[in-house]
Amino acid sequence: MLFRILKNSFLKRPKAVLLIFLSITMGAAVATAFLGISGEISHKMALELRSYGANILLEPSAVEGGFLREEDLPKIKTVFWKYNITGFTPYLFSIAEFSAGGKKERGVVSGTWFAKQLEVPGEDSSIQGIKGIAPWWEVQGRWPEDAAEAIIGAALAKRLNVVAGGDVTTIVRGRSQQFRIVGVVTTGGYEEEQLFAPLVTVQSLLQLPGKVSRVLVSALTVPMDDFGKKDPATMSKDEYEKWYCTAYVTSVAKNVEEVMAGSRAKPIWQIASAEGALLKKLNSVMLLLTVLALGASATAVSTSLMASMAERSPEIALMKAVGADRFQISAIFVGETLLISMAGGVVGYLLGDQLAEVISRTVFSSTIVSPLWLFPTAIISALSVAIAGSVVPLRRALLIEPVRVLKG
Amino acid sequence: MATTIIETGGLTRSYGDICALKPLDLQVPEGEWLSVMGHSGSGKSTLMNLVGGLDRPSAGSLMVGGEDLLALSEDGLARFRREFVGIIFQQHHLVPYLTAVENVMLAQYFHSVPDEAEARSALERVGLGHRLKNRPGELSGGEQQRVCIARAIINSPKLLLGDEPTGNLDHKSTVMIMELLKELRAEERFTVVMVTHNQEVAAWGDRTIYLDDGVLVREERTNS
Repeated sequence: MLFRILKNSFLKRPKAVLLIFLSITMGAAVATAFLGISGEISHKMALELRSYGANILLEPSAVEGGFLREEDLPKIKTVFWKYNITGFTPYLFSIAEFSAGGKKERGVVSGTWFAKQLEVPGEDSSIQGIKGIAPWWEVQGRWPEDAAEAIIGAALAKRLNVVAGGDVTTIVRGRSQQFRIVGVVTTGGYEEEQLFAPLVTVQSLLQLPGKVSRVLVSALTVPMDDFGKKDPATMSKDEYEKWYCTAYVTSVAKNVEEVMAGSRAKPIWQIASAEGALLKKLNSVMLLLTVLALGASATAVSTSLMASMAERSPEIALMKAVGADRFQISAIFVGETLLISMAGGVVGYLLGDQLAEVISRTVFSSTIVSPLWLFPTAIISALSVAIAGSVVPLRRALLIEPVRVLKG
Repeated sequence: MATTIIETGGLTRSYGDICALKPLDLQVPEGEWLSVMGHSGSGKSTLMNLVGGLDRPSAGSLMVGGEDLLALSEDGLARFRREFVGIIFQQHHLVPYLTAVENVMLAQYFHSVPDEAEARSALERVGLGHRLKNRPGELSGGEQQRVCIARAIINSPKLLLGDEPTGNLDHKSTVMIMELLKELRAEERFTVVMVTHNQEVAAWGDRTIYLDDGVLVREERTNS
């Protein structure tokens, strides 16, 4: 009988049913789309944010004589979090005296990788170096391709009055090396006071073969929370395992430190915390938008149901007059709303999935794969909207007095 | 001696300052057909609503079928209505999107379990065996009233209440409905309380009481 009542009620009031269905569908679609792309957005944004620079600094620990070994660097691509490490580059630097065209200036000479093809047994080949982890550097000219080529920071170039195509002689502790300047680099930072040359050349100049002073690592990490900020030394075994297996910047740093002999890895907090704060805010905004969309949807459902209840008050009064109690009245109207919301949830999921795809293609130029949990989430969202939207109208329905509505 | 099915003592119903029913003492024996007459606003529908558990009195006592209606909760009154009372309205009040048989089954659904065969049989008893699948909009006023009667009797109530059940019908249909009610009462042996302002309809009952401005002013036996 309940099915007959629901079926006939739907068929006789198609406009009201359609309105409620659309309200629920829109809510479920927006929730599905937002939740579907929120994970993707976090990932994509994290990738975009990697262009802000490295977030882990690897330095020699004091007991190892002040240098790391270049031969250990490929191990960075073998660690547990290797797929989260988007790039790294080593540096070997020293104070040097530069001369060009009769001018002499003091500055810093840095040996580094610009775009080194790195082959690690058992791992995919990758390109590592400054070009990858500092994409905001602007080079007027080109990047060095030869052992005797270098790029020079804009401030140092100005002081030496040198441009791309010129030569600079670099002198460190009585040893000199002439570099052909192939580019002038603008970074907006301290790098503009340096000359960057291939690592191997600077190692030779400094007589430090196979040595590096520091390594900058760029890694995809999750925002730090209270647990992530805990000192691993004070953690229980289970806590340590959980911390180690979460891509906090601290746990990734620890992971890298373990494979680099004599190293100490430190998060670069201004980068890591800025990223974390941004990602956290982004997730909060997505969640807030989802809640607002569901709230708006519930309000629309409530308004539609209120109008529907007003229209159907004689019917409700009659049901009460012939003996329906509050549970039986609720069962009919909640049943109607739940059936509509189930349909709205399914259609909303399909629409939301497509919407997420469109957003992903438009904003990130990539496709996304909806996670499995999204379908039940869409249905639960639709049911939540329906239940939230039904509370006030149902209360009104239960307060209807047959004697007032059915008189005369 | 017949058992008293309705017993009121000082039964009063006020709406704010307006007293629709002034203290009323009334006894109705089981199986009686009581007609309640009076002008518009005399309190006759108020009395019917109170007796049917559709409204609550402001003061006094009200026992119907051994139930103290003042002591019942909202859901208790709903149970009382579905198990004890059948109501026939002047405006029929059928659910417009349900067929005749479904309208009858609605009362079964709220009472216990819908039984389509039983609902069909009830409609056949009121002469609507050929209109089972018609919706209220496709029925005449008299036919709609007969569906209303079938719905009222489907759960074998002890008390049948009629609020101007023939108020919207022509004379011929009125006589048909009254004869039908008389037949059904003879078969089912329910008590009838029927509100009317039509002397001819009131005459179908065993006794008529007259209300005026909420006060019982007169009662008389009829010879139906």
